[in-house]
Amino acid sequence: MDTPTSGSVYVAPSLPAALDALDEAGSEAAPFAGGTWIMRAPIRHEPLKSRYVAIGKIPELHAIKVDTDVVEIGAAVTHAALATALAELSEFDVLTAAAGRSANPAIRGMATIGGNLATTAFAAADCVPALLCLAAEVEIASRGGRERIDLEQFLTMRSTLAPGWLLQRIIVPRRGRKTAHARLPLRQAGDYPTAIVSLAVSLDDAGHVQSARVSVGSVEPVARRWERLEDALVGHKLNATKAADAAAGLAGEFTGRDSADVPAWYRVRVLPGLVRRAAAALGS
Amino acid sequence: MGLSLTVNGDHLTSTADPITPLIDILREEFHLTGAKPVCREGFCGACMVLIDGKPTPSCLMPAALAEACDIRTVEGLAVNGGLNPIQVALEACDAVQCGMCFPGMVVSLTHLVTTRPEATRDDIRAALTGNICRCTGYERIIEAALLALATT
Ligand SMILES: Cc1cc2nc3c(=O)[nH]c(=O)nc-3n(C[C@H](O)[C@H](O)[C@H](O)COP(=O)(O)OP(=O)(O)OC[C@H]3O[C@@H](n4cnc5c(N)ncnc54)[C@H](O)[C@@H]3O)c2cc1C
Ligand code: FES
Ligand code: FES
Repeated sequence: MDTPTSGSVYVAPSLPAALDALDEAGSEAAPFAGGTWIMRAPIRHEPLKSRYVAIGKIPELHAIKVDTDVVEIGAAVTHAALATALAELSEFDVLTAAAGRSANPAIRGMATIGGNLATTAFAAADCVPALLCLAAEVEIASRGGRERIDLEQFLTMRSTLAPGWLLQRIIVPRRGRKTAHARLPLRQAGDYPTAIVSLAVSLDDAGHVQSARVSVGSVEPVARRWERLEDALVGHKLNATKAADAAAGLAGEFTGRDSADVPAWYRVRVLPGLVRRAAAALGS
Repeated sequence: MGLSLTVNGDHLTSTADPITPLIDILREEFHLTGAKPVCREGFCGACMVLIDGKPTPSCLMPAALAEACDIRTVEGLAVNGGLNPIQVALEACDAVQCGMCFPGMVVSLTHLVTTRPEATRDDIRAALTGNICRCTGYERIIEAALLALATT
């Protein structure tokens, strides 16, 4: 069995120290957060970087700041810590479920939200669709400065981000929406999701959908919004059966990814059922 | 410069690469063979150890990041030279079959029994999501955890 060897690990004591180390080592280095993806490189037959900059000891990357209009999440916050911190904020149910039900308890205590968003090759990331439907932004940092961009934009550029950049934090606006995360693992728990539907809606007093964001993960290589379904929901009462019917009519726009455990067509076929579950979780 | 690790209270050193998974150093250098490298992916839990009290799959932990931590393997869980409550309960419930998963089960359940005295059957099942057993069907393991919780 191949096991990872021959990478050096620098434990950065501060954010500037991490950015300096990443900048100096260039393409030879990468951030090391929870390691739950990196340490499995040999199983994927991928080489390790020769230098890792461990970011787990940097205090500001562990902070979760809850303000009245925004929540800011440091990139090295673990899934477990995030699920605990957001548990009482019902507008973030989608993110609490994404962070709190992925993987297994030990992995949730190691894997970070930054690692979840930064791993280009990982299609089944739970927090990506959850944060897409919450209209999240991210802040990226390098020795030269900082930049704040939409998560959607980050997903298109993350694989070509120049060496030296680090995902620093995630900024999620608070809009009082009702949200839900529906995922289908092959076993009841502990597996990657076959498909994910994340839903965020705002409703008027009569229960009509004023605005909707729906995102789909694990079906295609990168999670994305389902804008035609969002349009179909707006203006109507939220109804789980009708939402699933609309999803069934529109699911043809997805091209599922094939894998040894799940055929491509199956990932698309289960989408209407997941839309029904997500809408039903909002009491419709 | 070598790695300096504290395992079951002993201060040990290793010259392995810093990124080497802790499991390999535990087994191959320190001859602590309780933890098993089965999947090396974080799915099965056979390699579970306590790091600063937290159940952690040692296949995913680079040795360099375990420096300055308290590492406890299944070999170090005995209390005053005797079995700890979950070990006693697993034996009393005749829970073990092939035994491959058990070092990891003992580590995860030792943590559960010591940190969550109110844990229910569902809590136990959830806590074992990352400990796969191919033999037992889990029921006797869960019974043993309930027994350990009731008797501690
Ligand atoms: C058994 C198992 C089951 C899992 N199940 C699920 C699941 O159901 N759902 C799910 O979403 N995830 C799951 N995961 C987690 C998966 O590994 C994630 O992608 C994880 O969140 C990665 O985070 P990490 O902190 O471990 O990243 P690492 O392994 O440390 O890093 C991953 C990549 O991201 C880069 N990186 C990390 N942090 C940053 C940063 N701040 N800025 C820039 N780049 C960065 C690294 O350089 C590396 O390329 C599972 C993992 C395991 C082991
Ligand atoms: S060998 Fe580490 S979890 Fe399976
Ligand atoms: S007793 Fe055989 S794998 Fe659990």
